[in-house]
Amino acid sequence: MPVNEPAPQPQAAGINGAGWPYDPRVSIVETQALTQRFGSTVALDALDLRMQPGVTGLVGANGAGKTTLLNAMLGLRIPTSGSLTVLGYDPQRAGHRLRANVGFAPERNVLPDEMRAVDFVRHLAEVQGLPRGEARNRASDTLWLVGLGEERLRTLGTMSTGQRQRVKLAQAIASDPKLVLLDEPTDGLDPVQRSEMLALIGQISRDFSISVVLSSHQLEEVERVCDNIVALDAGRLVACGPISDLVGAGDGITLELVDVAEPAGSVDAVEAALRAGGLDVRRHEATLALRGAAFEDLCDRSRDAVAAAGARIRRLETRRRTLEDLFEDAAR
Amino acid sequence: MSDTPVPDSNAAAAPEAAQIIDRGYRSYEGPRTGLPGSIRSVVRYSVRHTLGLGRAARHKILPWLAVVIALVPAVVFVGLAVVLDIDMIEDEILPDYHEYYGFITTALFFYCAIIVPDILVADRRNGMLQLYLSTPLQRWSYLASKAAAVAAALAVLTMGPVLFLLVARTLEGSGPDGLVEWIKIFVRIIAAGAAISAAFTMASLAAASLTDRRLFATIGVVVLLWGSGFTTLALVEAADMSAQVYAFDLGGIADELKNRIYGVEGLDPFGAPESPEDDVFQPGAGREQLSTLFVVAANFAWVALGSAVVWWRYRRLALSR
Repeated sequence: MPVNEPAPQPQAAGINGAGWPYDPRVSIVETQALTQRFGSTVALDALDLRMQPGVTGLVGANGAGKTTLLNAMLGLRIPTSGSLTVLGYDPQRAGHRLRANVGFAPERNVLPDEMRAVDFVRHLAEVQGLPRGEARNRASDTLWLVGLGEERLRTLGTMSTGQRQRVKLAQAIASDPKLVLLDEPTDGLDPVQRSEMLALIGQISRDFSISVVLSSHQLEEVERVCDNIVALDAGRLVACGPISDLVGAGDGITLELVDVAEPAGSVDAVEAALRAGGLDVRRHEATLALRGAAFEDLCDRSRDAVAAAGARIRRLETRRRTLEDLFEDAAR
Repeated sequence: MSDTPVPDSNAAAAPEAAQIIDRGYRSYEGPRTGLPGSIRSVVRYSVRHTLGLGRAARHKILPWLAVVIALVPAVVFVGLAVVLDIDMIEDEILPDYHEYYGFITTALFFYCAIIVPDILVADRRNGMLQLYLSTPLQRWSYLASKAAAVAAALAVLTMGPVLFLLVARTLEGSGPDGLVEWIKIFVRIIAAGAAISAAFTMASLAAASLTDRRLFATIGVVVLLWGSGFTTLALVEAADMSAQVYAFDLGGIADELKNRIYGVEGLDPFGAPESPEDDVFQPGAGREQLSTLFVVAANFAWVALGSAVVWWRYRRLALSR
């Protein structure tokens, strides 16, 4: 059996063994002033970020720079400037060593139609560095894990979009990488398939200690499955950190008023009164999102404003900060 | 699960025979093969792909047709000689080794034009290139793997039939005299096959690297192989240009290198040979005027040029944004 590169050896306190240059307790990805330009277009704009182990959501609208960042992390693109390390490796200088420890499922949903799923996964596991026999065994095991055990002998061209997404996930994890990069893994899936895929991604990280970077423009699914997020907007960093610190309950209140009420314009009057009081007010039709003061104070001031305007309350509840708020804050 | 082994009475007596069948997905801490393993896997897969192995029947037709074109004449010659009990040498039933390349060239042109373009074009079209480059493979090692795979497949065509002839002659008793002569012929077959394969591999990969359409790549190979032959022939014969123009005839210059490797009679290995005695027009006959050094250099130039084009194209190739 050919043995050319020893597998990283685990230590009791983590997987920071000999020849393994990163401490997973610190970060799996670090960038400093990372910039990527395509002509006059700035795809990544001086990014300073640090990704922690676990599932990290890389979120942003289409064109935000997610795929560009993933390609830079794989060493497939040379950054215009700045520095980047992934698992402690510089992707440009030690790309092949890094990629031996990284699985990747691209966004592009085009696969060789005539290959059987098990052959496809086995071949890429071999290319990733597994010995032949091990690759053969793990290809089947991995396809069973992603729910395609019974379908493993089918050709890729006969599979549905959901099945092909699972095959892409299977080939990414078959070699037991330390990090998996998934580019829009729920693209083209229906809600049920999406839930199953997200559950699978969570399971991979939780049960097998594989860190995952999940690129998506679906904020809701990132909130569901990710431990950390990196939010990009037009190449700029909007937010980075544990998702529990960035989103969650306790972010002001939501005040929904009856939009057809007497006197007319009562919603406008309430909004104006609250703004005059220095609160951060965001309005969507008859619903006001209020921030800028303690919860009790917000409730009191809302009550006073509603009473003064003669409006009627339909709903009053604690507001939950979402990823959408991050992007709205960045845009303001 | 059906795979679960059923305990039997021998299990207790022979515990070393016990094995876990259904292991499930698990962590892997064993050895990894690194970049050499990646290259081996791509070469193996690509050779199988080009020969249609492990693929639907329709993908096997063309590559094996090329093999048949190259091999069947040799089988027929040998079969006739054996069945009719004819002395192969005296009755000249079998062509000499270097003469057999006429059949091989046809198969080689066919293979390069129809089969080889798929080996690069398909990876760019079906997303495999991006997946490959997200593994330990780099662009150079990916391309080296593909070139090795094509060269190996072409070697089957360039060496296989002639080796078959060698073996058949040896078994029939009309092979080379003695072990030394046998080894000489064997080395010539290998060297000529390798030289022809190298030039044809890089030229056809260069054409395939320039387009994402198989048809255009095929047209490119046809122009390169046939077009260069006709053009140089016209320039030398009709326009009376120097025989050195034959360096631009890929098929011709590779064939000429084969002749030099076989030491075909009448050729001076390192000088200008005598002109042909007859005045009968023979395509490419003027190639004999070229020195062996020039012929070798021209073949190297084809390999180098093809490599440069492929590398230039793939260095610039953007996988995605």
